[in-house]
Amino acid sequence: MVVCLIYKIYTILIEAGVPESIYGVSNMYLIVTNNQLCLGKYGAQIKMEYLEEGSYLDVLLKVRDYLHLGWKLETHPMTGSLKPNQTPYKSIMISNNPLDQEEFYSQEITISNGIAACRKFQSIRKTPDWPEHLLEDFRIVDLSLIEGAIQRIL
Amino acid sequence: MKLELGIIPISDIQFGPESKVENGTIYVNAEELKALILEDEALQSVELDIARPGESVRIMPVKDVIEPRVKVSGEGAMFPGVISKVATVGSGRTNVLRGSAVVTTGKIVGFQEGIIDMTGEGAKYTPFSQLNNLVVVCEPVDGLAKHAHEKAVRLAGLKTADYIGKLAKNIEAEEIETYETVSVKEGLQRWPDLPRVAYVLMLQSQGLLHDTYVYGVDAKQSLTTVIMPTEIMDGAILSGNCVSACDKNTTYHHLNNPVIKDLFAQHGKTLNFVGVIITNENVYLADKMRSSDWTAKLCDWLGLDGAIVSQEGFGNPDTDLIMNCKKIEAKGVKTVIITDEYAGRDGASQSLADADAAATAVVTGGNANEVIHLPKLDKVIGYPEVADIIAGGFDGSLQADGSIIAELQVITGATNEMGFNTLSAR
Repeated sequence: MVVCLIYKIYTILIEAGVPESIYGVSNMYLIVTNNQLCLGKYGAQIKMEYLEEGSYLDVLLKVRDYLHLGWKLETHPMTGSLKPNQTPYKSIMISNNPLDQEEFYSQEITISNGIAACRKFQSIRKTPDWPEHLLEDFRIVDLSLIEGAIQRIL
Repeated sequence: MKLELGIIPISDIQFGPESKVENGTIYVNAEELKALILEDEALQSVELDIARPGESVRIMPVKDVIEPRVKVSGEGAMFPGVISKVATVGSGRTNVLRGSAVVTTGKIVGFQEGIIDMTGEGAKYTPFSQLNNLVVVCEPVDGLAKHAHEKAVRLAGLKTADYIGKLAKNIEAEEIETYETVSVKEGLQRWPDLPRVAYVLMLQSQGLLHDTYVYGVDAKQSLTTVIMPTEIMDGAILSGNCVSACDKNTTYHHLNNPVIKDLFAQHGKTLNFVGVIITNENVYLADKMRSSDWTAKLCDWLGLDGAIVSQEGFGNPDTDLIMNCKKIEAKGVKTVIITDEYAGRDGASQSLADADAAATAVVTGGNANEVIHLPKLDKVIGYPEVADIIAGGFDGSLQADGSIIAELQVITGATNEMGFNTLSAR
Protein backbone atom coordinates (compact mmCIF):
# COMPACT_ATOMS: atom_id res chain seq x y z
CA MET A 1 0.00 0.00 0.00
CA VAL A 2 2.78 2.43 1.03
CA VAL A 3 4.90 1.40 -1.98
CA CYS A 4 1.95 2.01 -4.28
CA LEU A 5 1.42 5.45 -2.80
CA ILE A 6 5.09 6.44 -3.23
CA TYR A 7 5.05 5.16 -6.80
CA LYS A 8 1.93 7.20 -7.50
CA ILE A 9 3.55 10.35 -6.09
CA TYR A 10 6.67 9.72 -8.25
CA THR A 11 4.50 9.31 -11.33
CA ILE A 12 2.66 12.56 -10.65
CA LEU A 13 5.96 14.42 -10.10
CA ILE A 14 7.51 13.04 -13.29
CA GLU A 15 4.41 13.88 -15.32
CA ALA A 16 4.46 17.40 -13.88
CA GLY A 17 8.04 17.77 -15.10
CA VAL A 18 9.57 18.17 -11.65
CA PRO A 19 13.23 17.06 -11.83
CA GLU A 20 13.93 13.77 -10.11
CA SER A 21 16.87 15.23 -8.15
CA ILE A 22 14.33 16.99 -6.00
CA TYR A 23 12.82 13.69 -4.87
CA GLY A 24 15.93 11.59 -4.85
CA VAL A 25 16.71 10.17 -8.31
CA SER A 26 19.92 11.80 -9.48
CA ASN A 27 21.77 12.51 -12.69
CA MET A 28 19.16 12.34 -15.38
CA TYR A 29 19.61 13.96 -18.77
CA LEU A 30 16.85 14.91 -21.16
CA ILE A 31 17.07 16.17 -24.73
CA VAL A 32 14.31 18.38 -26.03
CA THR A 33 14.37 18.17 -29.82
CA ASN A 34 12.31 18.48 -32.98
CA ASN A 35 14.98 16.63 -34.97
CA GLN A 36 14.00 13.06 -35.83
CA LEU A 37 17.63 12.15 -36.60
CA CYS A 38 18.56 12.94 -33.00
CA LEU A 39 15.65 10.87 -31.73
CA GLY A 40 16.47 7.99 -34.05
CA LYS A 41 20.17 7.85 -33.22
CA TYR A 42 20.11 8.46 -29.45
CA GLY A 43 16.48 7.96 -28.39
CA ALA A 44 17.23 4.51 -26.99
CA GLN A 45 20.15 5.75 -24.89
CA ILE A 46 18.95 9.11 -23.58
CA LYS A 47 15.55 10.29 -22.49
CA MET A 48 14.06 12.51 -25.20
CA GLU A 49 11.14 14.86 -25.45
CA TYR A 50 10.46 14.81 -29.15
CA LEU A 51 8.35 17.67 -30.48
CA GLU A 52 7.28 16.10 -33.75
CA GLU A 53 5.51 19.09 -35.20
CA GLY A 54 7.40 21.62 -33.11
CA SER A 55 9.38 24.57 -34.42
CA TYR A 56 12.78 25.88 -33.32
CA LEU A 57 10.90 28.36 -31.10
CA ASP A 58 8.71 25.58 -29.63
CA VAL A 59 11.87 23.76 -28.50
CA LEU A 60 13.18 26.91 -26.81
CA LEU A 61 9.84 27.53 -25.08
CA LYS A 62 9.63 23.93 -23.87
CA VAL A 63 13.15 24.17 -22.44
CA ARG A 64 12.26 27.45 -20.73
CA ASP A 65 9.30 25.70 -19.10
CA TYR A 66 11.60 22.94 -17.85
CA LEU A 67 14.00 25.53 -16.40
CA HIS A 68 11.10 27.04 -14.49
CA LEU A 69 10.46 23.61 -12.97
CA GLY A 70 14.06 23.41 -11.72
CA TRP A 71 15.81 21.72 -14.63
CA LYS A 72 19.25 22.83 -15.74
CA LEU A 73 20.56 23.78 -19.18
CA GLU A 74 23.46 21.55 -20.25
CA THR A 75 23.92 22.88 -23.79
CA HIS A 76 23.52 26.42 -25.03
CA PRO A 77 20.12 27.05 -26.64
CA MET A 78 21.71 28.96 -29.56
CA THR A 79 24.13 26.25 -30.68
CA GLY A 80 25.55 26.61 -34.17
CA SER A 81 25.91 29.65 -36.37
CA LEU A 82 22.79 28.82 -38.37
CA LYS A 83 20.23 31.56 -37.83
CA PRO A 84 16.91 30.85 -36.04
CA ASN A 85 15.03 31.70 -39.25
CA GLN A 86 17.36 29.51 -41.32
CA THR A 87 17.39 26.08 -39.67
CA PRO A 88 14.08 24.62 -38.50
CA TYR A 89 15.77 22.21 -36.09
CA LYS A 90 17.01 22.52 -32.55
CA SER A 91 18.15 20.01 -29.96
CA ILE A 92 18.92 21.11 -26.40
CA MET A 93 20.16 19.00 -23.50
CA ILE A 94 18.92 19.67 -19.97
CA SER A 95 19.44 17.74 -16.73
CA ASN A 96 18.25 17.43 -13.17
CA ASN A 97 21.71 18.31 -11.86
CA PRO A 98 21.54 20.76 -8.96
CA LEU A 99 21.41 24.45 -9.79
CA ASP A 100 22.05 27.31 -7.37
CA GLN A 101 20.13 30.57 -7.47
CA GLU A 102 22.79 32.52 -9.38
CA GLU A 103 23.03 29.79 -12.02
CA PHE A 104 19.26 29.73 -12.32
CA TYR A 105 19.12 33.48 -12.98
CA SER A 106 21.98 33.21 -15.47
CA GLN A 107 20.29 30.32 -17.31
CA GLU A 108 16.95 32.11 -17.26
CA ILE A 109 18.62 35.05 -19.03
CA THR A 110 20.33 32.73 -21.53
CA ILE A 111 17.09 31.02 -22.57
CA SER A 112 15.17 34.32 -22.61
CA ASN A 113 17.83 35.88 -24.86
CA GLY A 114 17.57 32.85 -27.14
CA ILE A 115 13.80 33.19 -27.36
CA ALA A 116 14.10 36.93 -28.02
CA ALA A 117 16.71 36.37 -30.74
CA CYS A 118 14.54 33.69 -32.36
CA ARG A 119 11.49 35.97 -32.39
CA LYS A 120 13.60 38.82 -33.81
CA PHE A 121 14.83 36.71 -36.73
CA GLN A 122 11.34 35.33 -37.35
CA SER A 123 10.00 38.89 -37.48
CA ILE A 124 12.63 39.82 -40.10
CA ARG A 125 11.75 36.79 -42.19
CA LYS A 126 10.03 33.50 -41.45
CA THR A 127 11.92 30.22 -41.86
CA PRO A 128 11.35 29.17 -45.50
CA ASP A 129 9.44 26.07 -46.43
CA TRP A 130 12.63 24.20 -47.34
CA PRO A 131 12.60 21.18 -49.69
CA GLU A 132 13.28 17.78 -48.10
CA HIS A 133 16.95 17.49 -49.17
CA LEU A 134 17.72 20.80 -47.43
CA LEU A 135 15.76 19.76 -44.34
CA GLU A 136 17.89 16.62 -44.17
CA ASP A 137 21.06 18.74 -44.29
CA PHE A 138 19.78 20.93 -41.45
CA ARG A 139 18.98 17.80 -39.41
CA ILE A 140 22.51 16.44 -39.95
CA VAL A 141 24.12 19.69 -38.79
CA ASP A 142 21.85 19.95 -35.73
CA LEU A 143 22.66 16.34 -34.82
CA SER A 144 26.38 17.04 -35.10
CA LEU A 145 26.10 20.05 -32.79
CA ILE A 146 24.30 18.12 -30.00
CA GLU A 147 26.47 15.01 -30.47
CA GLY A 148 29.45 16.83 -28.96
CA ALA A 149 27.50 17.08 -25.71
CA ILE A 150 25.90 13.64 -25.91
CA GLN A 151 29.30 12.01 -26.13
CA ARG A 152 30.20 13.62 -22.79
CA ILE A 153 27.45 11.83 -20.90
CA LEU A 154 27.26 8.41 -22.57
CA MET B 1 60.29 33.41 -31.40
CA LYS B 2 61.08 35.49 -34.51
CA LEU B 3 59.57 35.18 -37.96
CA GLU B 4 60.34 37.07 -41.14
CA LEU B 5 57.64 37.27 -43.76
CA GLY B 6 59.08 37.64 -47.26
CA ILE B 7 56.44 39.48 -49.26
CA ILE B 8 56.16 38.57 -52.96
CA PRO B 9 53.49 40.76 -54.60
CA ILE B 10 51.21 38.89 -57.00
CA SER B 11 49.31 40.76 -59.71
CA ASP B 12 47.89 37.86 -61.77
CA ILE B 13 47.22 34.11 -61.93
CA GLN B 14 47.20 32.24 -65.24
CA PHE B 15 47.00 28.64 -66.37
CA GLY B 16 50.10 27.46 -68.28
CA PRO B 17 52.19 24.41 -69.18
CA GLU B 18 54.49 24.84 -66.20
CA SER B 19 53.60 25.78 -62.64
CA LYS B 20 55.83 28.67 -61.55
CA VAL B 21 55.88 32.17 -60.11
CA GLU B 22 57.44 34.73 -62.41
CA ASN B 23 57.35 38.55 -62.46
CA GLY B 24 54.43 38.72 -60.06
CA THR B 25 52.33 36.14 -61.92
CA ILE B 26 51.43 32.67 -60.66
CA TYR B 27 51.30 30.15 -63.54
CA VAL B 28 49.42 26.94 -62.80
CA ASN B 29 49.59 23.65 -64.68
CA ALA B 30 45.96 22.79 -64.06
CA GLU B 31 46.24 19.09 -64.91
CA GLU B 32 49.17 18.55 -62.56
CA LEU B 33 47.37 20.31 -59.71
CA LYS B 34 44.10 18.47 -60.36
CA ALA B 35 45.94 15.13 -60.24
CA LEU B 36 47.39 16.08 -56.86
CA ILE B 37 43.97 17.06 -55.46
CA LEU B 38 42.33 13.92 -56.86
CA GLU B 39 44.75 11.69 -54.96
CA ASP B 40 42.03 12.02 -52.31
CA GLU B 41 39.65 9.14 -53.04
CA ALA B 42 36.77 11.07 -51.49
CA LEU B 43 36.73 13.38 -54.50
CA GLN B 44 35.27 12.40 -57.84
CA SER B 45 36.27 15.49 -59.80
CA VAL B 46 37.76 18.90 -59.38
CA GLU B 47 37.62 22.04 -61.50
CA LEU B 48 39.97 25.00 -61.29
CA ASP B 49 39.10 28.55 -62.25
CA ILE B 50 40.54 32.03 -61.80
CA ALA B 51 38.78 35.14 -60.52
CA ARG B 52 40.59 38.47 -60.73
CA PRO B 53 39.73 41.83 -59.16
CA GLY B 54 37.22 43.78 -61.24
CA GLU B 55 35.98 40.79 -63.28
CA SER B 56 32.23 40.21 -63.51
CA VAL B 57 32.49 37.01 -61.46
CA ARG B 58 30.67 35.68 -58.40
CA ILE B 59 32.19 32.80 -56.39
CA MET B 60 29.72 30.75 -54.32
CA PRO B 61 29.30 29.01 -51.96
CA VAL B 62 32.73 29.78 -50.51
CA LYS B 63 34.12 27.33 -47.97
CA ASP B 64 37.59 28.65 -47.19
CA VAL B 65 40.08 31.24 -48.42
CA ILE B 66 43.79 30.48 -47.98
CA GLU B 67 46.86 32.60 -48.71
CA PRO B 68 49.67 30.59 -50.37
CA ARG B 69 52.81 30.64 -48.24
CA VAL B 70 55.97 28.55 -47.95
CA LYS B 71 58.58 28.05 -45.26
CA VAL B 72 61.97 29.16 -46.56
CA SER B 73 63.84 28.53 -43.34
CA GLY B 74 63.09 27.61 -39.74
CA GLU B 75 61.49 24.57 -38.22
CA GLY B 76 58.53 22.82 -39.81
CA ALA B 77 56.45 23.56 -42.89
CA MET B 78 53.12 25.22 -43.65
CA PHE B 79 49.90 23.89 -42.08
CA PRO B 80 51.62 21.64 -39.50
CA GLY B 81 49.74 18.61 -38.27
CA VAL B 82 47.54 18.58 -41.37
CA ILE B 83 49.57 19.07 -44.56
CA SER B 84 53.06 18.83 -43.05
CA LYS B 85 54.24 16.81 -40.06
CA VAL B 86 53.81 18.18 -36.55
CA ALA B 87 56.64 20.60 -35.75
CA THR B 88 56.64 23.99 -34.03
CA VAL B 89 56.40 26.64 -36.74
CA GLY B 90 56.63 30.41 -36.35
CA SER B 91 60.35 31.05 -36.67
CA GLY B 92 62.78 31.58 -39.55
CA ARG B 93 61.43 32.93 -42.82
CA THR B 94 58.18 32.36 -44.68
CA ASN B 95 57.48 33.61 -48.20
CA VAL B 96 54.01 35.04 -48.78
CA LEU B 97 52.31 35.33 -52.18
CA ARG B 98 50.58 38.59 -51.26
CA GLY B 99 47.66 39.52 -53.46
CA SER B 100 46.66 35.93 -54.18
CA ALA B 101 44.43 33.33 -52.56
CA VAL B 102 43.08 29.85 -53.00
CA VAL B 103 39.29 29.78 -52.63
CA THR B 104 37.46 26.49 -52.12
CA THR B 105 33.85 25.94 -53.00
CA GLY B 106 31.78 22.83 -52.57
CA LYS B 107 28.16 22.00 -51.91
CA ILE B 108 28.64 20.09 -48.68
CA VAL B 109 25.13 20.96 -47.56
CA GLY B 110 22.46 22.46 -49.75
CA PHE B 111 21.72 25.62 -47.87
CA GLN B 112 25.08 27.29 -47.82
CA GLU B 113 25.78 30.93 -48.31
CA GLY B 114 29.20 32.53 -48.76
CA ILE B 115 29.58 34.91 -51.71
CA ILE B 116 32.66 36.65 -53.08
CA ASP B 117 31.78 39.15 -55.84
CA MET B 118 34.80 40.40 -57.77
CA THR B 119 33.04 43.59 -58.89
CA GLY B 120 30.02 45.74 -58.07
CA GLU B 121 28.34 46.46 -54.76
CA GLY B 122 29.16 43.08 -53.19
CA ALA B 123 32.89 43.48 -53.89
CA LYS B 124 33.01 46.46 -51.54
CA TYR B 125 32.11 44.26 -48.60
CA THR B 126 34.60 41.41 -49.00
CA PRO B 127 38.37 41.90 -48.83
CA PHE B 128 38.78 38.87 -51.08
CA SER B 129 37.47 40.78 -54.10
CA GLN B 130 40.84 42.54 -54.14
CA LEU B 131 42.82 39.30 -54.58
CA ASN B 132 43.72 37.12 -57.54
CA ASN B 133 41.83 33.99 -56.62
CA LEU B 134 42.49 30.44 -57.75
CA VAL B 135 39.13 28.75 -57.20
CA VAL B 136 38.92 25.03 -56.47
CA VAL B 137 35.51 23.50 -57.16
CA CYS B 138 35.28 20.02 -55.61
CA GLU B 139 32.78 17.29 -56.39
CA PRO B 140 32.68 14.31 -54.00
CA VAL B 141 32.21 10.64 -54.83
CA ASP B 142 28.61 9.46 -54.58
CA GLY B 143 27.26 8.83 -51.12
CA LEU B 144 30.09 10.54 -49.24
CA ALA B 145 29.09 11.47 -45.68
CA LYS B 146 28.95 15.19 -44.84
CA HIS B 147 31.88 15.04 -42.41
CA ALA B 148 34.09 13.31 -44.98
CA HIS B 149 32.98 15.72 -47.70
CA GLU B 150 33.84 18.75 -45.54
CA LYS B 151 37.26 17.27 -44.78
CA ALA B 152 37.97 16.52 -48.44
CA VAL B 153 37.17 20.09 -49.52
CA ARG B 154 39.20 21.51 -46.63
CA LEU B 155 42.23 19.38 -47.52
CA ALA B 156 41.90 20.18 -51.24
CA GLY B 157 42.22 23.89 -50.41
CA LEU B 158 45.21 23.41 -48.14
CA LYS B 159 46.99 21.10 -50.60
CA THR B 160 46.45 23.67 -53.36
CA ALA B 161 47.75 26.54 -51.23
CA ASP B 162 50.76 24.42 -50.26
CA TYR B 163 51.40 23.52 -53.92
CA ILE B 164 51.21 27.18 -55.03
CA GLY B 165 53.21 28.39 -52.03
CA LYS B 166 56.08 25.99 -52.76
CA LEU B 167 56.49 27.57 -56.21
CA ALA B 168 57.81 30.65 -54.40
CA LYS B 169 60.33 28.96 -52.13
CA ASN B 170 63.39 30.27 -53.99
CA ILE B 171 62.04 33.64 -55.04
CA GLU B 172 63.59 36.70 -53.50
CA ALA B 173 61.05 38.68 -51.55
CA GLU B 174 60.40 42.30 -52.41
CA GLU B 175 59.91 43.30 -48.80
CA ILE B 176 60.62 41.70 -45.43
CA GLU B 177 58.31 42.09 -42.43
CA THR B 178 59.74 40.98 -39.07
CA TYR B 179 57.69 39.83 -36.07
CA GLU B 180 59.12 38.74 -32.76
CA THR B 181 57.71 37.56 -29.46
CA VAL B 182 60.17 37.48 -26.57
CA SER B 183 59.99 35.45 -23.36
CA VAL B 184 57.89 36.73 -20.47
CA LYS B 185 61.09 37.47 -18.52
CA GLU B 186 62.75 39.40 -21.36
CA GLY B 187 59.57 41.37 -22.03
CA LEU B 188 59.42 42.51 -18.41
CA GLN B 189 63.07 43.57 -18.52
CA ARG B 190 62.91 45.42 -21.84
CA TRP B 191 59.62 47.25 -21.41
CA PRO B 192 59.04 47.56 -17.65
CA ASP B 193 56.80 50.61 -18.08
CA LEU B 194 54.66 49.52 -20.99
CA PRO B 195 51.23 47.93 -20.45
CA ARG B 196 51.25 44.19 -20.99
CA VAL B 197 48.60 43.21 -23.53
CA ALA B 198 47.56 39.80 -24.89
CA TYR B 199 45.12 38.78 -27.56
CA VAL B 200 42.43 36.23 -26.71
CA LEU B 201 41.46 34.50 -29.95
CA MET B 202 38.20 32.55 -29.70
CA LEU B 203 37.94 29.64 -32.13
CA GLN B 204 34.70 28.21 -33.52
CA SER B 205 34.42 24.62 -32.26
CA GLN B 206 30.88 23.25 -32.24
CA GLY B 207 30.63 20.40 -34.72
CA LEU B 208 30.05 19.72 -38.41
CA LEU B 209 30.87 22.83 -40.48
CA HIS B 210 31.67 24.70 -37.25
CA ASP B 211 35.22 23.56 -36.43
CA THR B 212 38.78 24.89 -36.21
CA TYR B 213 42.04 22.95 -36.08
CA VAL B 214 45.20 23.83 -34.14
CA TYR B 215 48.25 21.85 -35.30
CA GLY B 216 45.67 19.37 -36.55
CA VAL B 217 43.81 19.10 -33.23
CA ASP B 218 40.07 19.74 -33.23
CA ALA B 219 39.79 22.87 -31.04
CA LYS B 220 36.73 21.54 -29.21
CA GLN B 221 38.89 18.78 -27.73
CA SER B 222 41.43 21.21 -26.31
CA LEU B 223 41.67 23.37 -23.22
CA THR B 224 42.50 27.06 -23.48
CA THR B 225 46.20 27.50 -24.18
CA VAL B 226 48.93 29.90 -25.27
CA ILE B 227 50.29 30.13 -28.82
CA MET B 228 52.87 32.44 -30.35
CA PRO B 229 51.43 34.89 -32.89
CA THR B 230 54.01 33.87 -35.51
CA GLU B 231 52.91 30.23 -35.28
CA ILE B 232 49.50 31.41 -36.50
CA MET B 233 51.19 33.19 -39.44
CA ASP B 234 52.68 29.82 -40.46
CA GLY B 235 49.31 28.07 -40.57
CA ALA B 236 49.09 26.54 -37.10
CA ILE B 237 45.36 27.43 -37.00
CA LEU B 238 43.15 26.25 -39.85
CA SER B 239 39.50 26.90 -40.51
CA GLY B 240 36.93 24.15 -40.88
CA ASN B 241 34.14 26.63 -40.31
CA CYS B 242 31.72 26.91 -43.21
CA VAL B 243 28.67 28.53 -41.61
CA SER B 244 27.78 32.21 -41.17
CA ALA B 245 29.82 33.55 -44.08
CA CYS B 246 30.04 37.14 -42.91
CA ASP B 247 31.61 36.43 -39.52
CA LYS B 248 33.51 33.18 -39.92
CA ASN B 249 37.29 33.32 -39.78
CA THR B 250 38.75 31.74 -42.90
CA THR B 251 42.29 30.38 -42.89
CA TYR B 252 43.28 33.60 -44.71
CA HIS B 253 42.00 35.59 -41.71
CA HIS B 254 44.05 33.48 -39.31
CA LEU B 255 47.22 33.88 -41.43
CA ASN B 256 46.66 37.65 -41.68
CA ASN B 257 45.00 38.30 -38.31
CA PRO B 258 44.67 42.11 -38.15
CA VAL B 259 44.57 42.20 -34.33
CA ILE B 260 47.96 40.48 -34.24
CA LYS B 261 49.31 42.80 -36.94
CA ASP B 262 48.16 45.94 -35.12
CA LEU B 263 49.43 44.72 -31.74
CA PHE B 264 52.83 44.02 -33.30
CA ALA B 265 52.79 47.55 -34.81
CA GLN B 266 52.51 48.96 -31.28
CA HIS B 267 54.79 46.36 -29.67
CA GLY B 268 57.64 48.01 -27.76
CA LYS B 269 56.19 51.48 -28.44
CA THR B 270 52.89 51.92 -26.62
CA LEU B 271 52.46 48.38 -25.28
CA ASN B 272 54.14 45.03 -24.74
CA PHE B 273 52.37 42.41 -26.88
CA VAL B 274 52.80 39.36 -24.67
CA GLY B 275 51.22 36.70 -26.89
CA VAL B 276 48.03 34.98 -27.94
CA ILE B 277 45.66 32.90 -25.83
CA ILE B 278 43.44 30.57 -27.87
CA THR B 279 40.16 29.34 -26.46
CA ASN B 280 37.17 27.47 -27.88
CA GLU B 281 33.43 27.97 -28.32
CA ASN B 282 31.86 24.64 -27.41
CA VAL B 283 28.15 23.82 -27.15
CA TYR B 284 28.36 22.21 -23.71
CA LEU B 285 27.87 24.84 -21.01
CA ALA B 286 30.36 23.17 -18.67
CA ASP B 287 32.98 23.54 -21.43
CA LYS B 288 32.18 27.23 -21.73
CA MET B 289 32.66 27.64 -17.97
CA ARG B 290 35.91 25.66 -18.02
CA SER B 291 37.39 27.42 -21.05
CA SER B 292 36.56 30.93 -19.83
CA ASP B 293 37.94 30.08 -16.36
CA TRP B 294 41.20 29.04 -18.00
CA THR B 295 41.29 32.13 -20.22
CA ALA B 296 40.96 34.43 -17.20
CA LYS B 297 43.50 32.36 -15.27
CA LEU B 298 46.08 32.64 -18.07
CA CYS B 299 45.47 36.41 -18.40
CA ASP B 300 46.08 36.75 -14.67
CA TRP B 301 49.14 34.50 -14.72
CA LEU B 302 50.71 36.45 -17.60
CA GLY B 303 50.38 39.60 -15.48
CA LEU B 304 48.38 41.41 -18.14
CA ASP B 305 47.17 44.98 -18.00
CA GLY B 306 44.93 44.58 -21.01
CA ALA B 307 43.34 41.93 -23.23
CA ILE B 308 41.65 42.09 -26.62
CA VAL B 309 39.10 39.33 -27.21
CA SER B 310 37.71 38.41 -30.64
CA GLN B 311 34.88 35.96 -31.19
CA GLU B 312 33.79 33.92 -34.19
CA GLY B 313 30.30 33.21 -35.42
CA PHE B 314 26.72 33.89 -34.42
CA GLY B 315 24.62 33.02 -31.36
CA ASN B 316 26.11 31.03 -28.52
CA PRO B 317 29.70 32.37 -28.99
CA ASP B 318 28.22 35.61 -27.63
CA THR B 319 27.96 33.76 -24.32
CA ASP B 320 31.62 32.64 -24.48
CA LEU B 321 32.60 36.21 -25.37
CA ILE B 322 30.76 37.70 -22.41
CA MET B 323 31.99 34.96 -20.03
CA ASN B 324 35.58 35.68 -21.13
CA CYS B 325 35.12 39.43 -20.80
CA LYS B 326 33.49 39.23 -17.38
CA LYS B 327 36.06 36.84 -15.92
CA ILE B 328 39.11 38.63 -17.38
CA GLU B 329 37.80 41.99 -16.12
CA ALA B 330 37.25 40.40 -12.70
CA LYS B 331 40.99 39.65 -12.62
CA GLY B 332 41.64 43.39 -12.95
CA VAL B 333 42.61 43.20 -16.64
CA LYS B 334 41.08 45.85 -18.92
CA THR B 335 39.25 44.06 -21.71
CA VAL B 336 38.12 45.08 -25.19
CA ILE B 337 35.84 42.73 -27.12
CA ILE B 338 35.42 42.50 -30.89
CA THR B 339 32.17 41.15 -32.28
CA ASP B 340 29.59 41.87 -34.99
CA GLU B 341 25.88 42.54 -34.75
CA TYR B 342 22.55 41.07 -35.74
CA ALA B 343 20.62 44.19 -34.88
CA GLY B 344 17.74 43.82 -37.33
CA ARG B 345 17.51 45.45 -40.73
CA ASP B 346 17.07 48.89 -39.16
CA GLY B 347 19.89 48.28 -36.66
CA ALA B 348 17.56 49.03 -33.75
CA SER B 349 17.36 45.62 -32.06
CA GLN B 350 19.65 44.16 -29.41
CA SER B 351 22.88 43.26 -31.21
CA LEU B 352 24.16 40.28 -29.22
CA ALA B 353 22.56 37.24 -27.62
CA ASP B 354 24.31 38.01 -24.34
CA ALA B 355 25.56 41.05 -22.44
CA ASP B 356 27.17 42.15 -19.17
CA ALA B 357 28.02 45.40 -17.44
CA ALA B 358 31.71 44.42 -17.56
CA ALA B 359 31.66 44.74 -21.36
CA THR B 360 32.44 48.45 -21.42
CA ALA B 361 34.63 48.49 -24.53
CA VAL B 362 33.20 46.88 -27.65
CA VAL B 363 34.33 47.07 -31.26
CA THR B 364 31.83 45.95 -33.90
CA GLY B 365 32.46 44.52 -37.35
CA GLY B 366 29.08 45.77 -38.54
CA ASN B 367 25.41 44.79 -38.71
CA ALA B 368 24.97 41.50 -40.58
CA ASN B 369 21.22 42.13 -41.07
CA GLU B 370 21.91 45.21 -43.19
CA VAL B 371 20.41 44.84 -46.66
CA ILE B 372 22.47 45.17 -49.83
CA HIS B 373 21.70 44.87 -53.54
CA LEU B 374 23.98 42.57 -55.55
CA PRO B 375 23.93 43.08 -59.34
CA LYS B 376 23.64 40.22 -61.80
CA LEU B 377 27.19 39.19 -62.77
CA ASP B 378 28.30 37.53 -66.02
CA LYS B 379 29.79 34.40 -64.52
CA VAL B 380 29.34 32.26 -61.41
CA ILE B 381 32.14 29.96 -60.27
CA GLY B 382 30.95 27.16 -58.01
CA TYR B 383 27.31 26.25 -57.74
CA PRO B 384 24.94 28.79 -59.33
CA GLU B 385 21.86 26.95 -58.03
CA VAL B 386 22.84 28.07 -54.53
CA ALA B 387 21.90 31.58 -55.67
CA ASP B 388 18.29 30.46 -55.86
CA ILE B 389 18.45 29.09 -52.33
CA ILE B 390 19.93 32.31 -51.01
CA ALA B 391 17.65 34.41 -53.17
CA GLY B 392 14.52 32.44 -52.39
CA GLY B 393 15.62 31.61 -48.92
CA PHE B 394 15.72 33.20 -45.54
CA ASP B 395 17.98 36.11 -46.28
CA GLY B 396 17.41 37.41 -49.76
CA SER B 397 15.17 37.75 -52.74
CA LEU B 398 15.77 37.36 -56.44
CA GLN B 399 14.79 40.32 -58.61
CA ALA B 400 13.41 40.19 -62.16
CA ASP B 401 16.68 41.53 -63.59
CA GLY B 402 18.65 38.70 -61.97
CA SER B 403 20.05 40.84 -59.19
CA ILE B 404 19.77 39.75 -55.57
CA ILE B 405 18.63 41.72 -52.57
CA ALA B 406 20.24 40.07 -49.57
CA GLU B 407 21.46 40.65 -46.08
CA LEU B 408 25.14 41.36 -45.58
CA GLN B 409 25.47 38.01 -43.82
CA VAL B 410 25.74 36.18 -47.16
CA ILE B 411 29.02 37.92 -48.08
CA THR B 412 32.23 36.14 -47.04
CA GLY B 413 34.09 38.21 -44.47
CA ALA B 414 31.69 41.20 -44.55
CA THR B 415 31.37 41.65 -40.78
CA ASN B 416 34.50 39.77 -39.73
CA GLU B 417 34.98 39.75 -35.98
CA MET B 418 38.75 40.21 -36.15
CA GLY B 419 38.06 43.51 -37.89
CA PHE B 420 39.39 42.31 -41.26
CA ASN B 421 36.83 44.31 -43.20
CA THR B 422 36.14 47.81 -44.38
CA LEU B 423 32.82 48.66 -42.70
CA SER B 424 33.06 51.79 -40.61
CA ALA B 425 30.81 54.42 -39.09
CA ARG B 426 33.29 57.07 -40.19
